[in-house]
Amino acid sequence: MTIGYLFRRLLSILLVLVIVTFAVFAITAVLPGNAAIMILGEYATPDAVAALEKQLHLDLPWYMQYLSWVSGVIHGDFGMSLRLSLPVSDVVGEAFVNSAVLAGTALVLVTIIAIPLGAIAAVSRGKVMDLLLAVFSYMGSALPEFVTATLLLVVFAAPKTGVFPAGGFTAPWVSIPDFLAHVVLPAVTLGLVLMAHISRQVRSEMSEVLSSDFIRAARLKGLNEKRVIWRHALPNSLAPAVAVISLDIGYLLGGIIVVEEIFAWPGLGRLLIYALENRDLPVIQAVTLLLATVYALSNFLSDVIIAILDPRVRYA
Amino acid sequence: MSATHVNSHPAREKAVVFNATAPRLSIRNYSLAYATSNGPVKALNNINLEIAPGETHGLVGESGSGKSSMAWSIMRYLPSNAIEKHGAIRLAGQELLEMSPRQMIDIRGQRISMVFQDPSTSLNPTMRIGEQISEVLMAHRGLTKAEARAEAEAALARTGITRPKEMLDRYPHEASGGEKQRVVIATAFACEPELIIFDEPTTALDILTARQILDLFNRLREETHVSALYISHDLGLVSRIADKVSVLHHGDLVEHGPVNEVFNNPQDSYTKRLISAVPHPDRWLGVAKPETSAPLLSLDKVSVRYSPLTFKEKVLKAKPDEDQIFWGAKDVSLSVRPGELLGIVGESGSGKSTIAKALTGLNDFTGAVKFGDISVKGRKEISRDYRRKVQIVFQHPDASLNPRQTIGTILSRPLHLYDVVPAAEIKNRVRELLELVRLPAEYADRLPHQLSGGEKQRVAIARAFAAEPELVICDEVTAALDVSVQASVTELLVNLQKDTGTACIFITHDLNLIRQIAHRIAVMQHGRLVDLFDREDAQAEDRNPYTRALLDAVPVQVSLGVYETEQNDE
Repeated sequence: MTIGYLFRRLLSILLVLVIVTFAVFAITAVLPGNAAIMILGEYATPDAVAALEKQLHLDLPWYMQYLSWVSGVIHGDFGMSLRLSLPVSDVVGEAFVNSAVLAGTALVLVTIIAIPLGAIAAVSRGKVMDLLLAVFSYMGSALPEFVTATLLLVVFAAPKTGVFPAGGFTAPWVSIPDFLAHVVLPAVTLGLVLMAHISRQVRSEMSEVLSSDFIRAARLKGLNEKRVIWRHALPNSLAPAVAVISLDIGYLLGGIIVVEEIFAWPGLGRLLIYALENRDLPVIQAVTLLLATVYALSNFLSDVIIAILDPRVRYA
Repeated sequence: MSATHVNSHPAREKAVVFNATAPRLSIRNYSLAYATSNGPVKALNNINLEIAPGETHGLVGESGSGKSSMAWSIMRYLPSNAIEKHGAIRLAGQELLEMSPRQMIDIRGQRISMVFQDPSTSLNPTMRIGEQISEVLMAHRGLTKAEARAEAEAALARTGITRPKEMLDRYPHEASGGEKQRVVIATAFACEPELIIFDEPTTALDILTARQILDLFNRLREETHVSALYISHDLGLVSRIADKVSVLHHGDLVEHGPVNEVFNNPQDSYTKRLISAVPHPDRWLGVAKPETSAPLLSLDKVSVRYSPLTFKEKVLKAKPDEDQIFWGAKDVSLSVRPGELLGIVGESGSGKSTIAKALTGLNDFTGAVKFGDISVKGRKEISRDYRRKVQIVFQHPDASLNPRQTIGTILSRPLHLYDVVPAAEIKNRVRELLELVRLPAEYADRLPHQLSGGEKQRVAIARAFAAEPELVICDEVTAALDVSVQASVTELLVNLQKDTGTACIFITHDLNLIRQIAHRIAVMQHGRLVDLFDREDAQAEDRNPYTRALLDAVPVQVSLGVYETEQNDE
């Protein structure tokens, strides 16, 4: 991987983000239906609308609005939340940290469970274990989050018998046991679909690797099966799994909106829904832009990881 | 044969009671079948085979003869549907069939090791070469990581790799084909095994590299007194390195004995046929030399560039930096006469297929091609008329025949495309074409997968001749086929040439084969034409050194001439 490649990749991410700012801005500010009227409601007096328009800079031409918003964004100033009367960067920043904690937990959970599961399924191909794992995966990917969430709530968070709280949040830096108790159900809900996805991917990749010449060669060198599977086969199956995980980050970001709402997790998803319901435009813009950034960066990161996993991959 | 060297490791001495008089490997009445949904399919039938200490035993046979099954049986690496009916396989007197899987793990890589056909697929692409050698030493000889690494370096040095220490830290894709095969050989010899199974170890390599690998094997064999089972379809090669040879045919061992006896005086009819099918440069099969020397096709400084135009060249129109450009072919000038067969030989990457692709409009090129009165200066200038007159046959019929079209449809397409015959005549013509390549007319309704490899290649040839071309380019058309099939396909081509007077460019890496059929031979190296000579002048003093090296690298030791009459059997 050359420095030139990294530079060009970062440049292209920047370009993507510029396009995203256009899209975000266009959809929330330029489309028909004045934002001020949408916020104040159709019975607002013209004076009130005019005042709000001035406050939102809606009286300026669209490109001036865009430029002032973008220059604010570059300086870390996303404006003031219209509803919460707080700086958007503060509101979004806190929610982002909370969401990152949840998504990160889900992702770690998925990675440490799904990859070995996929490997085990591939090794026991055609046997009972493989079948069980297949059933688990199909269920995982067939059930949408709101169904699994409800099921998990009924089983593990019923008022009397439940082991986990039904919702809420404690930061890990406040109390780790409390945080873990709160994070289990939403993280599992979020991770189930991805687990199914990724374990299937690892399984099919691994099955292919297991039938390759170099695995046969490794066995005929007299290596034990443990080394053949975990040292020779698995590393060769991971690169495609990482590619899938990075695509699934997009799915994860979508899932977070549903899951946070169900489990009352004070993250970006909940904030976005709140902002949409209340037409808090600066917050909507900031959250959308942030999600797009996360997605672009995680794709970039996955390409870097793939290059580390497979020495043949050379970006130039 | 001294066994002391082989047994010098203390860890091994406890495990093996070595008997210097017993054969290293002895196979007795061994039979193997595979269970399939259509009942058991016989793979090996009552095999008896013995390999003495220090002996190299050649096992020859065509695809499907069971020679690979033999290797898997010895390694105890059979698929779950294998049925071993009876027999014994003994390594230095120890019965392998009775070994537990655990015991076999200790034997593999330590007492029996294997060298595979394709070094680029038998090495793990994501592991450094050093670890792939030292893991064997750690598993079998209980060395520490550091000891194993030092030992791996020494093993690599023994195989003639110039900078073994650097090689340890490379990944397989950072080594050349020959280097990779040396790594595999170093691994196989690492624990000083009693027996090594070579499964076509030079088939995937270039002529000169293959020659070096064979020399290496001969040297290591002298040094270690290892016994070897050398599996190959290449009789010429086996005749050069084996002491004894066994011939497998459909799972039966039809003949065995000392290599000179079997090759000079074969008893079995299959062995005879196999030997007579081996190309030999002194046995001319081709058509008479064309009388005219006026060219049908001439290439003037044809170049094919593979590296894309750089920004500087495209936009700034700057003069390209010659060192930075990768040329698939560079300034190739040659000509083909009407009715002639011109051979193009060279190693992989020499540009021989690149020229074929340029001539058929599959690659863009610069320079000039003159075909009769058609003059072409680039891919875009290639006309329909030219395309009809210049046809190509590819190496792999599996890839060049559409698997979802019947043979009849495949053959009728050029007839439609070039209006060779009126639409009503097409059916008849397809039948004639099949007849021309000696296939039954019923094949018109079959799909490619229902045909054998040789039959498929015949269909591909028929398709090329369907357009009634003046020149047919054959790009390694026999490389994927068995020896006996190869001989019959070559013969077919020559006959077609005789009947139609079509000129032919025959691209191959097989020098013995090309000297049987080509009037003139062009030699390519690194995209350039380095030599072009009449076939009679192959041994001339003033041959290019590279041509000389190629000719010297090829074994021509199978005794021939007596069995030519058998050659037409199929």
